Formats: sequence, C-alpha cells, structure tokens
Amino acid sequence: MAYIKIDNQAFEVDAGTSVLEAAESHGIKIPHYCYHPALDAVGSCRMCLVEIEGIPKLQASCNTPIREVPHDCRINGKYDMVVHTRSDIVKKERENILEFLLLNHPLDCPVCDQAGECLLQDYSFRYGRAHSRFEEDKRVQPNEYLGSMIVINHNRCIMCTRCIRFTRQISGTHELFVDKRGYNSKIAILEDYPLDNLLAGNVADICPLGALLDRDYIHKNRIWNLTTQSSLCTECSIGCNINIYYQGNQIFRVSPRENLKVNGYFICDIGRYGFHKYEDVERITSPLVKKNGKFSEISWEGAFKEIFDNFAKGKEKYLIAGIASPFHTNETNFMFGKLMNQILKGRTVVGILPPIEVEEDISYASGFRISRDRSPNRQGVVDFCLDLEVNILEVVRDKKIKLMVMLDDGVERRIEDSWIEIFRNLHFMVVQAYALTPLAQLAHLVLPGPAPFEREGTLTNDQGRVQWLRPSLPLKGKTRPDWEILMEVMNTVGKRELRYSGVSDVIRKMGDEFPAYTGMSFFHLGDYGLPKNGQIKDE
Amino acid sequence: MRQSDNSPMFNPVLTRFMHLDNSHTLNVYRSVGGYAALEKVLKTKTPGDVIEEIKASNLRGRGGAGFPTGIKWEFVPKDPLKPKYLISNADESEPGTFKDRLILNKAPHMMLEGMIIASYAIDCHQAFIYIREEFYQEYKTLENMVKEVYHANLLGHNILASNYQLDVVIHRGAGAYICGEETALLDSLEGRRGWPRFRPPYPAIEGYLKCPTVVQNVETLACLPEIMNRGADWFKSIGPEKGPGPKLFCLSGHINNPGVYEAPMGIPLTELIYNYGEGIRNKRKLKAVLPGGVSSVVLTADEVEGLNMDFDSLAAKRTILGSAGIIVMDDTVDMVNACLNIARFFAHESCGQCTPCREGTVWLVKILTRLIHKEGRRRDIDLLLDITENIGGLSDLSKGSFGKTICPFGEAVAWPVRSFVEKFEEEFFACISDNKTIYKAAVIS
Repeated sequence: MAYIKIDNQAFEVDAGTSVLEAAESHGIKIPHYCYHPALDAVGSCRMCLVEIEGIPKLQASCNTPIREVPHDCRINGKYDMVVHTRSDIVKKERENILEFLLLNHPLDCPVCDQAGECLLQDYSFRYGRAHSRFEEDKRVQPNEYLGSMIVINHNRCIMCTRCIRFTRQISGTHELFVDKRGYNSKIAILEDYPLDNLLAGNVADICPLGALLDRDYIHKNRIWNLTTQSSLCTECSIGCNINIYYQGNQIFRVSPRENLKVNGYFICDIGRYGFHKYEDVERITSPLVKKNGKFSEISWEGAFKEIFDNFAKGKEKYLIAGIASPFHTNETNFMFGKLMNQILKGRTVVGILPPIEVEEDISYASGFRISRDRSPNRQGVVDFCLDLEVNILEVVRDKKIKLMVMLDDGVERRIEDSWIEIFRNLHFMVVQAYALTPLAQLAHLVLPGPAPFEREGTLTNDQGRVQWLRPSLPLKGKTRPDWEILMEVMNTVGKRELRYSGVSDVIRKMGDEFPAYTGMSFFHLGDYGLPKNGQIKDE
Repeated sequence: MRQSDNSPMFNPVLTRFMHLDNSHTLNVYRSVGGYAALEKVLKTKTPGDVIEEIKASNLRGRGGAGFPTGIKWEFVPKDPLKPKYLISNADESEPGTFKDRLILNKAPHMMLEGMIIASYAIDCHQAFIYIREEFYQEYKTLENMVKEVYHANLLGHNILASNYQLDVVIHRGAGAYICGEETALLDSLEGRRGWPRFRPPYPAIEGYLKCPTVVQNVETLACLPEIMNRGADWFKSIGPEKGPGPKLFCLSGHINNPGVYEAPMGIPLTELIYNYGEGIRNKRKLKAVLPGGVSSVVLTADEVEGLNMDFDSLAAKRTILGSAGIIVMDDTVDMVNACLNIARFFAHESCGQCTPCREGTVWLVKILTRLIHKEGRRRDIDLLLDITENIGGLSDLSKGSFGKTICPFGEAVAWPVRSFVEKFEEEFFACISDNKTIYKAAVIS
C-alpha cells in the first residue's frame, strides 16, 4: 500500500493504481477525455495532466501508476507521492489544452446533440479561457456513416480514441481505426466492414463529445428537457442497468448505467433500441369481456364478478391452469403463485409457455454477454411459482382443463398454431395483458396491466441478483399494477381481505414467505441490486 | 558523400575504408580487419565483460538522445523467461542528417558486427534492422549483406564455432518520421500504427512484444567493433571524456563542401564549417546554424564562436548535439521562411496521437504562413512563443523539459520554432502589417 497526498487529502492506495483513479475514488475530480474506466488508459488527450512533486514535467494522471518508494525517497519523510491538481501551472495547462482542443472544433453547440452533457462545454466553462486566439480557417470534413446506426461528425472529433479502444477491447470486433496521420487523422472503417455489431450503440455514449451520434436519437430532443430514470433492461435475463430518458409520455433514449456486477458500463443494442417496440402498440386501457366473439369494455367490479362466477359458484371441483410469465416482476409472480398455490390450492396446475430464447448466448471479448434467454425474470418465476409444469399446454389438453388464468408475456410472444385449438377449448380464460396480443385475443376476459416501462417491482437475473425495476411512464387509462389486480382476484375468489399498501408491502410479504428474499426492500436494493440470500453465482 | 580531409592528428575510424571499391562487401570488410572484434568477443569475453567495456568507454547514443549505451544495456533484466531483442534504428529521418545512410551504403558490416556484439552482450538471439522505406537501395544492400553473412557463418547457429546464435530480420518502414522514435518504432515493428508509447515502462524492460528490447542507432552500433578491438581507454581518449569517440558530422546548407565528415567529438564547430566545409558559399557571411538537425535550438553566428561539438558543450549552450546534422545558413536566408519550412515538416510528420502536437503544429504553420505574406499581427509573435511553450515547454533545458506531449516530438517542434522567434525577432516583427484584413492561410494537405 502506498501513502500519497493529493491536494489536501492524504490516504492509502494500492500500488499500481493510477493517480486519476486514486483521485476520483476520493472525490477529487480531474478533467479527462480519453480515459474511461472500462478501457486501457492511453494518456493522449493530455487534459488530465497534474503536477507531481519531484518530476519537472507534468504527468498524465490516467497513465501514471502510484508506486511505493524506498523510505529515504519519501516526500516529507512520509509520502510516496504528492500530487497537486489545482496549482497554477496545472490550471494554465488545462487552459492551453482546451485551447488546442477547441482549435478546430466547430461552434456547433446550438445544433449538436451533446449540448448539455458535453465534457468540452463543461470543462471549457470550468477550466478554459473565455475566448480563443485562433484566427485561421478550421479543418472541415463531411459527416460519414460508420455503421447503420452510428454517424460521425469528423469536425467535432478530438481523437480521444475511446471508440477505437471500445471496438478492440470490449466488443473485440475491431471495426474502427485511425486513418491518415497528424492533423488529417480521422476515425474510419473499412468499406465492407462497418460498425454493425450489437454493441455499436455504446460508442455514441462513450464519445465525450458530439462527434459520434446515434441515429436513433439524433436531433430529437435536448438533455435538459428529459427526465432521467434509473431502471433495468427487460430484453433478456442479464438485467443490464439502464437510464431511461423520457419527457411526458414518451421515452427518447436509453443508455447504460454502471453496475460492475451485472453489465459493467455498457448495454447491447437490443436493449438500447428495444423501447421502440412498445410505442405503437395498441394498448388495452380498460377490462374487456368477450361476448358473442367481440370484446366490449367492462368495469373492474364487473370483471371481478365474471371471475368469481366462473371460478367459484359451484365450480369448485374444476381444475384451473395457471400460466405465469417470465416477463413479469417478482411481485406479480409472487402474487400469482399465492393465488395458484394458496388461494386455489389443490385445484391448480401452474406452468409457463415455452421460453422465448435463441440458440446461444452472445459473448464479447470483454466478457459482456447477451443471454440466450430473452425474458428478464425466469428466475423469479421459478422461485415464486413452485412445482412448475414443463409442458403446461399438453397438461391442459390431456386433463381437459377448462379454466385458465394467464399472465401475458407481451408483444414478444408468438403463438403456434397447435396451441390455438387448446385455447379455444377452454371455457373461461382470463388474461392479464397490456395489449391485444394474439394470446389476449383468445381470452374471454382481459384485464389491463401496465406495459414494461410502466411497471414497478423487482427482477431476478440469471446470476441470482435481485434488482429494482422502476417505471418511467405513467399508467394508462384504467390499468392497475399487475400485483394489485391479482390481489383483487384473490380477494374475490378466495373471499379474503388482502390489503397491500403498495409494491413495497408485497416485497415485505415476499420476504416473509421466501427466505431467499428476506430483508429485501427497494431501499436496500438501491441502484445496484442485491444477490439472493446465499444464492448468488459468480459473486 | 565525400570523405574528410582530416587533420593529421586524427586517424579515421568509421570511415577508414570507405574509399575502397566495394567497401560494403564482406571480403573487403574482412580484408581491413572486419569481424576480428566479433571473434575476440565470442571466444574470450562474457556478455558481462562486453557491457563493462562499453560502459567504461562512455559511448553515448548517436541517434539524437545521447544516452550512455552501456548503461542502457545494463537495464535489460536477466530474466531467462523473456526473449531479448535488439533493434538497429535505421529510420534516419531527421532533416540535415545523412550519416547512417553513408554507413548503410559503404560499410553496413560495421553496423552488423556491432549488432552481433550488442546482441551477445544482452543475451539476444533475434535482432531487427528497422530501415526507412525510402532507403530502397540501402535495403537491397542490406539484404545482400545479410545473405553473405549467413553464408559465412557469421549469423545463424554456432556463429564462428561458438555456441552463440543470432538471427537478423530486416523490416522496412512506411514513410513516417515518427517511427524513428523508439517506442513508435516498436509499435510499427509489431504491425500497428506508429504511435509512440507512454514511458515508463522503458523499452529495455518492456519493448517489442512486451519483452526487453534495446534500440540503437546505426552509428552507435558501428562504433562497437573498434571499441572491442582497441579498448575502452582508446575510445575515451578521443574527444571529451564524458562523451568521447569518433563522430560522423553531417554538414549541409550554404556551405562550399557539404557532406559527411568524420572528426573527433568536441571538434570546434568553426573548424567543421570553415576547414572541413571550406566556408560559406559565394563568400557570404554565416547567419545561423542548426547543430543537431532540425529538432534543435538554432545558434546565431556569434554563438558559433568557440563552440565545441559534443553533447555537454552544446547542452551548456542550451541546444543539443542530437544527430549531428549541422545545417548552415548564410545571410541570404529569410528566417521566417526557414521557420515556416521547419514547422511544415513537423506538422506533416505529427502522428496525431496527442492534442498539443496534432493541433499546435498546424496552428504554427498557419500563423507563419500569414507572417511570410506580411499579414502578421503584433500578437502573432507572442502567440508563436506561447504555442511552442504549450507544445514543447521552455527552451531552457537546464530547467528540465516541460513538454506536454507523450513523446519528445513536442520538444522537437518547440525548440527550433521558438529559438528562431527569440533569436531573430526583428525579422518576425518586420512581417507585421497594420492592415486589418487577415490573409487566410491555405489548408495544408
């Protein structure tokens, strides 16, 4: 361990840590462009230069490791290294580097997407000169496509090479490189090998300026109009942490949130652009009941009465099939399990439809993985709905079950023709859905629930980590949270008086009944989630 | 390339047989005693002995940095697990320097014998010659030389019936000055862009493919055989003790007799210019001299008086010996134009990795272009000084270097441009116009 002093703070760090990392971990901010915690440090932007006592030349703090020195070389007898990040010479240096960076940088702020979250703006404001002394012509190059989704504006690029290092170290796909030399350097691709891998969207995130732009978001909005919500991606069982940027009822973009235990610093394009598929879906905003083959709206009381009529009132001997969903939260599946295994005990067979998956995981050089299981919460279903039937539809057909309650998977689910016969033979099928999916259309009663970006609850990923899913869009029309609907169903059918005040209450109850989830709460899960008690893989 | 007309006290060492026909062939080299040193080393000296001898000789690198060669070899760790590499840096690109080319053309075996001795000293069994792409003729000469040498059992297995084995590969560059910088050379040799690396770790610890690597200039290697033949004390007796030896000086510019001249280290600059070079052409007067190629601080005619050409004397005058590419300028030279020429070279050769050099060098060109068109503004002079300081630090080398760049290219730009402005102020001020319109400098391609 080395004992160092940065500005007026003295502390111990592991030898080998870079000065920049040591400073950042103690709240001392050193401006930088080319450094990124997920990538190897190169020290090429020169913005992070600091003064280190004993070395006449300013050093790039991102690339300077801290070493233990022999006792007689220590500064003031105690420090292995003394660093000044705010001395006059460092301040002057930052001004000069910024001047160089701004030399050829166009005055694009009014039309540049990065405005408001741009490091060049921030550092110019904090560390730069008020005006530039450059009076010559700037270098001008036209914009280019680097891939289907990524555009580069060469004039804005400061050659920090984060994007190139990303394609080398994280995605391992090597599409990007520097073409030409010196002043004419530019980021380039080979004509027949564009930047089209599933991690491509991340380069627009890591670009500190508005040089690399995501075509999905370009010119659509401004960061200061958008509200940020931390949440989770629901496109596969990894459960990458994301930030959702929305305004009013519309999501504008999704970007990664750091979680070193789950997704590191990145997300894949499936999750990044996935929110679009919910935008044009025709939503169900009120309970619907099918009479004479057509749906008509019904009130919630009416809907619950329909359920009561079909599940109780003399039908107590009838078996009920329950189909849970790995697309729903733990709380919803917990309530579903409660309904099936406690309230309707003895009458039920519970299962899930064949999983929505692809052939295999997609893995990248850095270890980033896209799971083959494209549902976010299979683990949750397994944990809360015990005794799952492997082939629920076969059981329904063989045992001639006539009643069914189903949590709809959503717009991802494609149904097979052989299933339609099975569903048509049911006497009463209740589906909890957010849109009239092919499955919902086969139902007799549809209960409107929230769409994925409106749900709140927890999801358990395939490593056994429980994370907090937070809503960013409001509930539509008469929709109610999924767990609340199930609570009312339980009250109706089981003649109970369950009253949970909110999702947090459900979580507490979950913890009471399932030891793996004891002690969890949104507060404890926080931004990074928690492993299930004693049951985490690869911690 | 002309030989020197030496003063009788100094017997040529490096150029002693270059006047012979076919001096580049193995036969001729052997006939003047070539490879005797190698035989002596392989048969009677251990690697440690060789390092001690070279250290004792105080040989300093002739590529530009002047680092003591023996000490550099000592840095190489004795780790048996990692292979060691030796690289001969034949990427001679410093303007005003053409001494390595002479060696490659007329006496490549001198360099090769030095390479084998050096490789033996650091326990290296794979050596490279990194030659600049433009030296095609020289590359062909080297190819033939290497063939000859393998044939004669001077390379490959069991060299001269000793147990020592060495292989040599010749690698051509692709036209970049920056690849003469040792870490950029290593990257280029590994097949990547020639972007200099951060130091530490130094190449002697982690160089080519992360293994210990020693990079030496061609001339430095060429000195090694005679040091082993005649001894460290002999070498130390030539010129100043702290930086001795016979040296190839390149004289170019406005001089009557340009060429490569071998002289002892410490020879007075005036003797080189007026005796060897036979004075300024057309009987004009000396105005300025760049002593170490274009990457050095310029000297005025006054400063040339009494100046000896060796590492320490020049460092005391706040310039560098560098690669000993002496460019002589007479009083017909427009210093602003010369400065622009130099700045254009550096802007073209900047690798673009770090900000100050990539942006700053072209800014210098644009300002200087305006100045030579007499469209300068008063603040341009201060701006030039400020920019060079921001790229390469102050020119007062006694205070250390304050460059802001990853590699010494920043200092290499800053020293000449800054010294031109400081020492020839009047010419720059004469370019200032009071005219308010600015001439738009052309974009360099």
